[in-house]
Amino acid sequence: MSAEITGSPFILLFRGTDWDRGLSAEEIQQTMSRWTDWFDRLTSQGKAKLGQPLNNDGKIVSGKKGAAVVDGPFTESKEAVAGYILLRVADLDAATEIAKECPGLDFGMSVEIRPISEELGRGPD
Amino acid sequence: MSTPPTSSEYMLLFKGTLWDRELSPEELQQVMTRWMNWLDRLTQEGKVIAAHPLANQGKIISWKKGAPTDGPFAESKEAIGGYFLLQVSEEEALEIAKECPALKYGVAVEIRPIVNQCASMERVYMEHSVGSSK
Repeated sequence: MSAEITGSPFILLFRGTDWDRGLSAEEIQQTMSRWTDWFDRLTSQGKAKLGQPLNNDGKIVSGKKGAAVVDGPFTESKEAVAGYILLRVADLDAATEIAKECPGLDFGMSVEIRPISEELGRGPD
Repeated sequence: MSTPPTSSEYMLLFKGTLWDRELSPEELQQVMTRWMNWLDRLTQEGKVIAAHPLANQGKIISWKKGAPTDGPFAESKEAIGGYFLLQVSEEEALEIAKECPALKYGVAVEIRPIVNQCASMERVYMEHSVGSSK
């Protein structure tokens, strides 16, 4: 078997760290288990290569030589990135179909789909 | 588990997709060469799990009128132009972020710890553990 690589690489960025506000613990748990099932299915289909949540803690570095450092945790917002998935699928339409399945969408999350360049990048192995 | 271990994986998100507009082709070439050398060094040091530039195309999916709807991705000072996923300590992540060759052109680097569990579930567990023996 040749390890032929097919399809194109994309990153899904999940935006919105305040989606769970007002939800009960049960609703959050339900959404998260739907999310886990979704990710497991994409992984077993060979479409998801890697995916992780990001902690709301962190830092923002800017300015010449990174002179300005702002420490988190950051205010939860609709725009903040909450996690990501690296995909390999046929094309942008296929990536879009997957993004539309995101369990956080109907709670106000949005999903950004961006093609990535593998020639200029690294991994994941 | 009471306290989660300190994360050893960090994502660096490079913010700003318009920083190169005022640069000459030579300057841009210089920055890109420095950037690739930087990534090569970090890779050789075994710190890179994954790293990619993001194309300035794409889509945004959001929920509108009861259905997922797609709109175009727009470039901006805040838009993400690329990322590094690194296996490093918190201090190293900060040092590496400060080395970003595009900082002086207005790019900002957001450093985020990778976690095994999303923040929402952390909150659920914390609420449930209040008053319990753990």
